[in-house]
Amino acid sequence: MKKRIYIFQNGELKRKDNTLYFENEQGKKFIPIENTSEILIFGEVDVNKRFLEFTTQAEIIIHFFNHYGYYIGSFYPREHYNSGYMILKQAEFYMDMTKRLSIARLFIKGATFNILRVLKYYQKRGKEVEDVIVVINDILKKTHLTDDVNVLLGLEGNIRNTYYQAFDQITENVDFSFEKRSRRPPENALNALISFGNSLLYVEVLREIYQTHLDPRIGYLHTTNFRSFTLNLDIAEIFKPIIVDRCIFNLLNKRMLKPKHFLKELNGVVLNEDGRKLLIQEYETRLKTTIKLSGTKDEVSYSRIIRRELYKLEKHLMGEKEYAPYVSGW
Amino acid sequence: MVKINGTMINYYSICHRSVWYLIHGLEAAQDHPFLEIGRFITQESFARSKKEVVFDNLKIDLVKKENNDVVVAEIKKSSKAKKTAQLQLAYYLYRLKEIGITARGELLFPKEKKREKMVLSEELENMLKTTILEIEKISNMEKPPELKKIPYCRNCAYRDFCWC
Repeated sequence: MKKRIYIFQNGELKRKDNTLYFENEQGKKFIPIENTSEILIFGEVDVNKRFLEFTTQAEIIIHFFNHYGYYIGSFYPREHYNSGYMILKQAEFYMDMTKRLSIARLFIKGATFNILRVLKYYQKRGKEVEDVIVVINDILKKTHLTDDVNVLLGLEGNIRNTYYQAFDQITENVDFSFEKRSRRPPENALNALISFGNSLLYVEVLREIYQTHLDPRIGYLHTTNFRSFTLNLDIAEIFKPIIVDRCIFNLLNKRMLKPKHFLKELNGVVLNEDGRKLLIQEYETRLKTTIKLSGTKDEVSYSRIIRRELYKLEKHLMGEKEYAPYVSGW
Repeated sequence: MVKINGTMINYYSICHRSVWYLIHGLEAAQDHPFLEIGRFITQESFARSKKEVVFDNLKIDLVKKENNDVVVAEIKKSSKAKKTAQLQLAYYLYRLKEIGITARGELLFPKEKKREKMVLSEELENMLKTTILEIEKISNMEKPPELKKIPYCRNCAYRDFCWC
């Protein structure tokens, strides 16, 4: 199983003989190229063309994050799975509004069902989230009444905002009250956690898309601007509640993350290195966790479930089988 | 008209669905362990020979000259699907024959330390002709041929794609 490499320090990444090499004043480190699936860079790291050529050959994606831990962009090596057929299908379903709407609705449905799954889990454990569940169900019904993708995206936003209102109930942690959703930069610790966790998931889905014939620039719920990636944002919606949010709840409810893991800066709050490491560790464990899918004998990891989600979308585009979003069983 | 390559011929005798995939540019996920092993074996064996020779749309594992014969070879991990590999190699010989090159074939199983010689027989040639026609039929299908569970599915790199 190939590993994700996270780099927090400042330094230089290069090719040394036939492997990767990281160097700074504190030391040197070899990174085995055959074992690396992608590299996430948080520190101030220098790379050169020779290095990028080498990682391209090994089909390693490099994701860059800024000082706040925001995703800046990726070095996405040239596509290795090329299928003109699939690109045309993807575009066809984007251009035809009826087809696009049906996929967008299914993404929202999956995202909402997983949100409800998380809420019901905590409801069973005595958290007061009934009101939120009722409101979310109401908004979900409205998604069938509109024919406008932008309205649909707005409704999805409403569902998420309603869901966030339950966060304080779930965590009961005064140091991490939600207040309101704020980004770029997040205004409090909980928002910083959500933003960072979501960024991790966006690059994970991007990585899985790279292993399929889909083009990450054509999304269905998030409007394509033909420049940046959007399909990964669509697919990530489905998995945020069951991967990212559950990690956050776990860390907060076990009191592992503390106020000392956050830095208050001039214009916002950011996670410090230890805080990021805690979330990453929890997130990595969750992605590797294997679960039994209903109706099959196999145990599959969440990473694999994300890949399958993309395959399911491909089959929908091929007209072979209608896409049904993944809904968590617990 | 579809450009048929060796892999398509190879896949045809196992699963028609995978042939449809290939024709539509839907390659199997290369991170499947068996594909990685296959690539590794091809890479590491016969280091002194000329390997991965590209001829038109074909990629021949190995080409060498023995006495005055041209020998083309296909390297496989195991001899389990020998019949299938034979047809693939026969296709290379057939395509070479079309441009006037008479070559011999060799199936190489470096892990098993085995090699098998073969020539393009009339029987093989007839089998190829039928296969080519059938592949053309598959290429005209709007959707992939129906799913069918076969023993091969278990270790197939397309497994998740087919059965998700």
